Amino acid sequence: MKVDETIALLRQGKQISEETVYTLCLRSQELLMSEANVTQVDTPVTICGDIHGQLHDLLTLFDKSGGIENNKYVFLGDFVDRGFYSLESFLLLLCYKLRYPDRITMIRGNHETRQITKVYGFYDEIVRKYGNSNVWRYCCEVFDYLSLGAVVDGQVFCVHGGLSPNVTTVNQIRAIERKQEVPHEGAMCDLLWSDPDEVSTWSLSPRGAGFLFGRNEVDQFLHCNGLELIARAHQLVMEGYKEMFGGGLVTVWSAPNYCYRCGNVAAVLRIEDGLSREYMIFEAVQAQDDVGNAIIPTKKPQMDYFL
Amino acid sequence: MNRAVQETDYDAFSCKVSAIAKHYLPRQVAGEEKEEGEFVQLHMAYAQGLKSVSRRAYSKVDRAVKSAQPVMNYGTYLRSIAIDEAIACFLKEHANFGADAPVQVVNLGCGSDLRMVQLLSQVPHMKWLDLDFKESVALKSRILKDNSLFQRELGPSEATETAEYSTSRYCLASCNLNDIAQVAETLKRFTTQDCPTLVLSECVLCYMKSIESRALIDYIKSFYKTGTWISYDPIGGDDSADKFGKIMQTNLRESRHLEMPTLMIFNSPEKYVQRFDTPPPSTSVVTMWQYYVQSVSSEEKMRLKALQFLDEIEELEIILSHYILAEASWL
Repeated sequence: MKVDETIALLRQGKQISEETVYTLCLRSQELLMSEANVTQVDTPVTICGDIHGQLHDLLTLFDKSGGIENNKYVFLGDFVDRGFYSLESFLLLLCYKLRYPDRITMIRGNHETRQITKVYGFYDEIVRKYGNSNVWRYCCEVFDYLSLGAVVDGQVFCVHGGLSPNVTTVNQIRAIERKQEVPHEGAMCDLLWSDPDEVSTWSLSPRGAGFLFGRNEVDQFLHCNGLELIARAHQLVMEGYKEMFGGGLVTVWSAPNYCYRCGNVAAVLRIEDGLSREYMIFEAVQAQDDVGNAIIPTKKPQMDYFL
Repeated sequence: MNRAVQETDYDAFSCKVSAIAKHYLPRQVAGEEKEEGEFVQLHMAYAQGLKSVSRRAYSKVDRAVKSAQPVMNYGTYLRSIAIDEAIACFLKEHANFGADAPVQVVNLGCGSDLRMVQLLSQVPHMKWLDLDFKESVALKSRILKDNSLFQRELGPSEATETAEYSTSRYCLASCNLNDIAQVAETLKRFTTQDCPTLVLSECVLCYMKSIESRALIDYIKSFYKTGTWISYDPIGGDDSADKFGKIMQTNLRESRHLEMPTLMIFNSPEKYVQRFDTPPPSTSVVTMWQYYVQSVSSEEKMRLKALQFLDEIEELEIILSHYILAEASWL
């Protein structure tokens, strides 16, 4: 398998052979296996939120933020589900990872699981594209090896969802046995599912998994671990990003016009040397094929609207 | 365009079947297990009927049901129970005038809605008129006539040239709602002017041009002496930063040639309800998000949460904030 050729195909949204996907997933697994649960990353780095299969917007993200050739990226998870190009988006990131291993960190999101992808579209997308679910299985194997978090310059903790009542220190996360399907409860589940909110202490989440946590929990976690910021994704923010708790936490959302209907803008967070933060906002572009024709989601299988 | 509008009925029906398959619908109410069982049976019977009458329509429904996601199931559940509740409220109010005081329901653009089956058996003093495009009505009547369950519930249809299905209490007739002369003729033939009337429009007005929906509302309001109009529709949103409506118009135009001419005109709950021109307090309107937050009990919310992982609360709020249920009454 030639990675550069696969990258070129994926960027055009072209279908990759089952065999190539298999090889790609296997090599990615080998690479991810050696990574720690929490990866150390140096500045400058660009932190990106949910992608959700919006391949064309992912390409815009790379274009507008300088590109993988010259920059480091942390992706906070939720590569798949909802959009039409979950597979291409995920494989493109895996290819970049193989091609530029030290420039891209991929953190697991709550959608990178067997159970959720069966409900939210990735599984159906694979069956539609390949006529069987093999490719879905290969990808799910990779999901199990994705890391759970990253720390930028020892100061910025990156995670998909948020904090867990079972986790006080980053070191505790390092001790989790991560190579498995995301459990329904416990530390690993919470990291991928929890949300910040205006609550005085740990509260039940309306999502059915994870917890709500407030300023107290954030302040304590930052203090305890000598951190300055928690960067997370997981929640749609119409403005692309949202800082909370006096700037101690930020939600970054990188899927513009989410599900092709929400009308939101997207953002990525650039952390420079010296930890200064800069948000780059971008909008959805009309998807085009390789000869410049608009790709309109006509073959969308699921209904978007109540009619 | 008419064809595109007619086809929205398959969406509505698919959504309902999906919400039933995933156990969102029917709503669980203690002591109503029998009705809940009937509700499921009726919809499954209709789906089977659709299969034998139109393979094409059935395969659309089948495909859609398989890929329906939690946000759609939530929205369908809410749409369904909010309208049910508004109907029940109207019927209860009129029951106060005496158990046998007659009422009538006019369901505009009824599509495959099956509410009339259970309501007709529960409320003996009620008459029901289902109206829709000729093709939709033909399909529905075939399904109703072909199935023994519907025959038993509704009674056999009398032979008539003016309606596709006709009993002493239920009528299914074709009517182009954009043609006021036809509407006038149809309502005169099948309904009574001085009987308290409930008018239902579930995703109907949104497909009509402003001038035509205006004419329809004006005519119906002047025709019936007392009435309540219950209308469910999308709204475009009136905040300049809110792009939901514009994107919806573009998406539906490009993917299905479906137009929503007034989506950005009656773009807020307030503006939507103003189109009925009935002063408060005879007017009310809620977004489906408000309905979810305020009117769904915490037990029901818990039950719904357990059905599927609902990952997308923020998205759910955005979507549901763009659908409303309006109620307007006149005397």
